[in-house]
Amino acid sequence: MSSMLASYLTLAAILFCIGLYGVLTKRSAVIVLLSIELMLNAVNLNLIAFSKYGVVPSLKGQVFSLFSIAIAAAEVAVGIAILIALYRNRGTTNVDEFNELRN
Amino acid sequence: MVPWLTLLMFSPLVGVLLLSFVPHNRVKLLRCIGIATALLPLLLALFVYANANVGGQENNLTERYNWISIPLNIEAMQPLLQSWSFQIDYHLSIGGLSLPLVVMTAIVTAMAAWASLTIRQRVKSYYIWFLLLEVGMLGVFMARDLFLFFLFFEWTLVPMFFLIGIWGFAKREKAANRFLVYNGLGSALLLIAFLILTVTAGLAVHGEAGASPYLVYSGDLEQIIRQLGDAQSFVNTLPGPASSFNPFYLSEAWRTIAFILLLVAFGIKLPIFPFHTWMLRVHMEAPTPVVMLHSGVLLKMGAYGLIQFGVALLPQSFASWSTVLAIIGLVNIVYGALLAFVQKELRLLLAYSSISHMGFVLLGIAAMNDIGLQGAVLQMVSHGFISALFFLVVGCLLERTGTSRIDELGGLAKRLPFLSAVLLLAGLASLGLPGLSGFMAELLSLLGLYGQLPWAAIAGGIGIILSAVYVLRGVLEITYGPMDKRFAQLKGTQAVEAVPAIVLTLAIILIGVMPTFVTMPVEQGIEHIIHSIQAGR
Amino acid sequence: MESVYAQYVWAVPIFPLLTFLLLTLARSAAKGAAAFVGVGSSLIACVLSILILLERLTANTDVYTVNFDWLSFGAVQFELGYELTNLNALMLVIVTVVSTLVNLYAKGYMADDERQSVFFAYIGLFTFSMLGLVLSPNLLQLYIFWELVGVCSFLLIGFWYERSSARAAAKKAFIMTRIGDVGLLIAILILFWHMPNHALDFQTIAQVFASADTMSQYGISAGLATWIASLIFLGAIGKSGQFPLHTWLPDAMEGPTPISALIHAATMVAAGVYLVARAFDIFQVSQTALLIVASVGGFTAIFAATIAIAQRDMKRILAYSTVSQLGYMMLALGLGAVTAGIFHLFTHAFFKALLFLGAGSVIHAVHTQNIFQIDGRGHNMKITAWTFAIGALALSGVPPLSGFWSKDAILSVAWESNKLLFVVGIITAFLTAFYMSRLFFMAFTGASALSTSETAVEASGAADGARRKPDASSIVHKETESTIHESPAVMTIPLIVLAILAVVAGFVYTPINSGFETWLTGEAAGDHTNWIVIILSTIVALSGIGLGYVVYGPNGVREDRWSSVLKPLYHLIERKYYVDELYTLFFVYPLKVLGKVLYVFDRYIIDGVVRCTASCTVQFGKLFTRVQNGQLQSYGLLSLYGFSALLLLLLLLGKGLW
Repeated sequence: MSSMLASYLTLAAILFCIGLYGVLTKRSAVIVLLSIELMLNAVNLNLIAFSKYGVVPSLKGQVFSLFSIAIAAAEVAVGIAILIALYRNRGTTNVDEFNELRN
Repeated sequence: MVPWLTLLMFSPLVGVLLLSFVPHNRVKLLRCIGIATALLPLLLALFVYANANVGGQENNLTERYNWISIPLNIEAMQPLLQSWSFQIDYHLSIGGLSLPLVVMTAIVTAMAAWASLTIRQRVKSYYIWFLLLEVGMLGVFMARDLFLFFLFFEWTLVPMFFLIGIWGFAKREKAANRFLVYNGLGSALLLIAFLILTVTAGLAVHGEAGASPYLVYSGDLEQIIRQLGDAQSFVNTLPGPASSFNPFYLSEAWRTIAFILLLVAFGIKLPIFPFHTWMLRVHMEAPTPVVMLHSGVLLKMGAYGLIQFGVALLPQSFASWSTVLAIIGLVNIVYGALLAFVQKELRLLLAYSSISHMGFVLLGIAAMNDIGLQGAVLQMVSHGFISALFFLVVGCLLERTGTSRIDELGGLAKRLPFLSAVLLLAGLASLGLPGLSGFMAELLSLLGLYGQLPWAAIAGGIGIILSAVYVLRGVLEITYGPMDKRFAQLKGTQAVEAVPAIVLTLAIILIGVMPTFVTMPVEQGIEHIIHSIQAGR
Repeated sequence: MESVYAQYVWAVPIFPLLTFLLLTLARSAAKGAAAFVGVGSSLIACVLSILILLERLTANTDVYTVNFDWLSFGAVQFELGYELTNLNALMLVIVTVVSTLVNLYAKGYMADDERQSVFFAYIGLFTFSMLGLVLSPNLLQLYIFWELVGVCSFLLIGFWYERSSARAAAKKAFIMTRIGDVGLLIAILILFWHMPNHALDFQTIAQVFASADTMSQYGISAGLATWIASLIFLGAIGKSGQFPLHTWLPDAMEGPTPISALIHAATMVAAGVYLVARAFDIFQVSQTALLIVASVGGFTAIFAATIAIAQRDMKRILAYSTVSQLGYMMLALGLGAVTAGIFHLFTHAFFKALLFLGAGSVIHAVHTQNIFQIDGRGHNMKITAWTFAIGALALSGVPPLSGFWSKDAILSVAWESNKLLFVVGIITAFLTAFYMSRLFFMAFTGASALSTSETAVEASGAADGARRKPDASSIVHKETESTIHESPAVMTIPLIVLAILAVVAGFVYTPINSGFETWLTGEAAGDHTNWIVIILSTIVALSGIGLGYVVYGPNGVREDRWSSVLKPLYHLIERKYYVDELYTLFFVYPLKVLGKVLYVFDRYIIDGVVRCTASCTVQFGKLFTRVQNGQLQSYGLLSLYGFSALLLLLLLLGKGLW
């Protein structure tokens, strides 16, 4: 049983790391958004794995992941909307050029 | 019973309230309110002084209320203690050295408010800050709780910061920043020292025998003095069987740390030698009525703190470090005097002379006997009046000539006889002429010090020569000598300007002729200090 | 017998104080009345003090003391009060008589000055302080009035404040005397801690210092007593213009002449002598201290007398003469002869006031103080000339004028106890006679006037460099020759009164009549007749005058003759032995340099450290703003690093928690 859990968790960790790598290194804002989705999915995978193979198996985990998928969808919608607005304003989706936080 | 002290302390707030309902363009009305409400605490202070002196010790006006009580986490100690809290009292008193200083503050502030007629911009907010400052200063001199004292000590920084930063001269903002940073640093050290004292000597146990006790940390000055002085006094309050062990009794090393923290914290305010540069800027850049308060009252907060919250708390540490204090005092005296001697700007000369004069306060403290401490307090009061008078005149000079540089002024006695006479009198008072207030102060400081450290007292005599050198140089260059043609058209002194000058002059003469006015109330205040020093010898 | 007037002695200083208060409050409104107030109040004080003196002469000679608490706390008790002894009864009379006459004289002298009321107010304050000083029963009160007297002197020297020279002189006077004052202050500090009950009054001092036994009983060693006495003497050196603190006194002549007469000749400068006499109990126990007093006095006497020979300013000559005569008094005190010292103080007060007022009368008329410019024009002023002559003779020590008797008293003491000091004294007497005749002949004998004035003026012009224009002054002098006339009666009456006093004051204490000593010191008077001294001093005085006549008389050989022969020496004494220059070089200049160096230190090192700390903080802050580049990705990366570091830390250290 626990070996099943470990393989799920390993897969999730790999997914998460790929996502994190993408978020931190990619220039294009679209790819960054996609990478965030990857990380979210890694989390979802964890939730489901624990809900099945965890210490106290329960359906709650799967319900949570459904919520999280819905929210991720909403987030992507908002994120893409912002991106389009930014693109209209600045003519680029290059993350390096977005340093409004500093100024 | 009328809470006279609270009334006295917060009476300037009446002015703040009134001022805030007056439109900002009615300058004349604003000024009238400002001055009138600055006179209010003066009247109350004189009333309190008159009352406090009747009947001696018992009649010392004191007010005390529980103010803030913060319950501490009791769970861990549940069976042992009933409650465990940190308490700050609203505890005011004007016993001892506070009384002369409160009266001095009230007089100087009223006169500075009067002298603020030269302020022309943003009069409304000026007077509001000014009156708020007065509340803070009066609070500092009356508070008898470590944290209440600290609160007022900090309180004064805020109005002062704005008074310097908004109404000052060219480099006012820099001066205000410097002021705030330096004093903030001093306050931080002060807070550390106070916390050390509170969590050790400030701990008190209440409750009946048998029942689980209440444990209270408080900054009450009297209690801390008592417990610092005597290990047994804490043990006696324990409900259990008497033991002789006090786990909270402050060790010698901690006392030394607290002593150094207090010395530096108050030394910045005083100021003592390496920490003095901030006050030069304030003297240069602040508007002159504010400098009257700064030099006259705020510097005294450092000296007052050093005695009331330093010597009174840790008399033994001060006594064993008295040589160091005397040396710092001598350095202050000589260093200030030598630098005052070469200044070309009267305001800087006066700033350095303040450093020199505060050296005598340190000498008086280093003496560690009643004569020296009396001298130190007299010097504080006396210098408060003298420097206020000096800056009053400087303000009038700046108003007329636009400069207070010694090399640009000269021969003013011809056109401005009254101001010149006042300037000369202030100079003579500050170089310690008998009959004026400075003399007895310096004499008593040296007299006291001779009993403890004869060599230091003799070296202090040099300061008396040097003070004559720099004061006369500054004052005579300005008033005597041939008059510059530029000053031929100067306006004479008006009655309005003359009033504060006369009041301050009278105060200087009164203390000079009858120093008893200051020494009598102080005598009771320093009694216990002297006792604990003598006990330790 | 009951004393009648002694109990009103407090009123003596009160009247001058009232003058001061009244005139200060009235200020310019008082104008004309100021002189009357001044003269009137000092006259009342004068009459009262004469009555007191007469009473003490005839009947009651007990010490009369009244004290009241001034300041007391703990074990400390400072008292104020007044004490009447024979010594200070005498001083009261000296002060009030001279003060009254000077007030009267000033009414004429200062008639044109618009700040008259201020002037009389200052004189009132001065007289009050001086009387307070004299009446002080303890050292602290004495010190208080000592300082007040000093400040009055300062104010009056700087009375004509518009002159830079007056400003400099006033400042110098205050600072130089302050140096001495600190000595006195330290002596008070020492006494305060060693006297029983912190008492500072003279009666207790007398008890403690009565003998070596009583001293050791109170723990005062002989060395300490020497220190105390020397420090008190330091105060006296400052006030009485003794070497090396003498330089202020000649400069003090910048003040109005009546002031020079009152303060810088007759009364205040004698305060130092009075102080030593008053505290003589302390000096008596220390031979070293007495020797210091005597040698400083003797040296000052001869030192100042030589300087007086080469001065050109009339008042300066008199000032150096004052310094020299004060040295004489100190010499007497140092030899233990209090009576002789005080007696010389007494006679000197009258004839020196006379000389100064006479000089003032001349200056008032001719508007110059340079004796080469006055050049005999004083002879038109008959009363001034005659009274001045009497004063000059009295100062030179010609019998039977007062100066002779007092000088003789000092010299005979010196003859008996210290031959070296006797020689110094007798040479000084010679020099005194010489410079006084120089002064008198140059200022008052007219025959020397026109014919030789050119050379004299040229000589002085050469010596003084470019300070004056010789031609202009001699032209002025010719034009005004006929316009010079005698001063008004208010000025000549004091001269006449003082001249009479200068003649008769000496008979108080002569070899035949020595009751004065018993009266003053309470000890039986010894026989001090010494014919050798009397004859010697007479010869010396006459020969000094004779030499003066030969050089400066109507047919004299003129000054340039000997000054060119002894050029280096002449320059040395003309420049007052370069003492002022030495002080500038060794004290003023180093102090200034030290101050400037410290200022640089303060600005750049101390403030530099502060600024450095501040800018370090700012730079440090800036370093970390670099990290905040506004890019989300780098923030994320940083938090990843942080998280990993935390994780690592937990792995390595927090094994228990894992």
